[in-house]
Amino acid sequence: MTVFSLIIINKAGGLIYQREFQPGLRKLSTNDYLVLAGTFHGVHAITRTITPKLPLLTPTAIASTPTSASSNLASPSGTSTPIPPTTTTTTIAAATTPSVSASSYTYPILGVPATGLESLETDKFRLTCFQTLTGTKFLLFTDPHMANIEVVMKKIYDFYADFVMKNPFYQLEMPVRCEAFDRNLNGWLRGRT
Amino acid sequence: MVVYSFYIFDRHAECIYKRRWLPRPVSTSGSKSSRPTSEASAPATSAPVLLGQSARTTDDDAKLIFGTVFSLRNMVRKLGGEDDNFVTYKTSQYKLHYYETPTNIKFVMLTDIKSPSMRVALQQIYINLYVEYVVKNPLSPVEHPGGVGVNNELFEESLEQFVTRVLS
Repeated sequence: MTVFSLIIINKAGGLIYQREFQPGLRKLSTNDYLVLAGTFHGVHAITRTITPKLPLLTPTAIASTPTSASSNLASPSGTSTPIPPTTTTTTIAAATTPSVSASSYTYPILGVPATGLESLETDKFRLTCFQTLTGTKFLLFTDPHMANIEVVMKKIYDFYADFVMKNPFYQLEMPVRCEAFDRNLNGWLRGRT
Repeated sequence: MVVYSFYIFDRHAECIYKRRWLPRPVSTSGSKSSRPTSEASAPATSAPVLLGQSARTTDDDAKLIFGTVFSLRNMVRKLGGEDDNFVTYKTSQYKLHYYETPTNIKFVMLTDIKSPSMRVALQQIYINLYVEYVVKNPLSPVEHPGGVGVNNELFEESLEQFVTRVLS
């Protein structure tokens, strides 16, 4: 159980906190960490937009195409098969009313909002990203085989709330320089290993 | 497990092959209509709509995916060292798997979040399908601008079989 380092990115993509707890990752210059934070912020937004969208059937489409269903079922890739006449009529209808085609997509898991990157695995480490409701991102670099990362993340968020947000001298969105936060975080992580 | 899409990028950052699978709406959108017939007709009715209006967005998707993968790979190499490899990432909705060959050809696959690591599967696609049907094809060019040489029947057919039979 190894926690390599923690990075906190504010909602604008700026690096506000970076600490290394255990050696294992390469050390970067401060400038590189700032670039990394900004890059990650952008990539995080893009990973949300490339969420695959699944077609969702509108009730009218269901009603008009029960006959074509059996013929197209034989080939799972519906793209290469000639379109039966019944479906072409619905296509035209869908194309003329853009609202229909726009609403006929859904995310793979219903009821769960699409998020950006949540965890990234490489040969040497695992990056877990937790985004708060206000847009602050916590990036935790751990051993790839570590379990219960959520517990660590929750605790770090607790510490952040207790020692950074409740610090009357802390300015929002600015770099975190709170000694109590550092001390408690270090102490707690050392106690776990 | 469900495979949503698959991309191959060459060393010039060009998308030389892309394939999207429209999975049958499983229990997720099946809740909208409980009749089995309507579930089965979903891929059939949606395909024409896709052909009509989102030919441009699939191209854009490929570019976005390349950008993401490229940035993450560089980030991983910076932090983990030159020999570290970015394997996969996961969001609340999907999982992206990545495999890069020594010749810098990048294989990317998007699947559902419950799927296990696909590194071996991507490696198999490279070794058993790409090398066999694209690289060893005497008529195929060395580079594949615009997907020339990759879009041959044998490769597409066997990829289709691999994804539908082996992976699901």
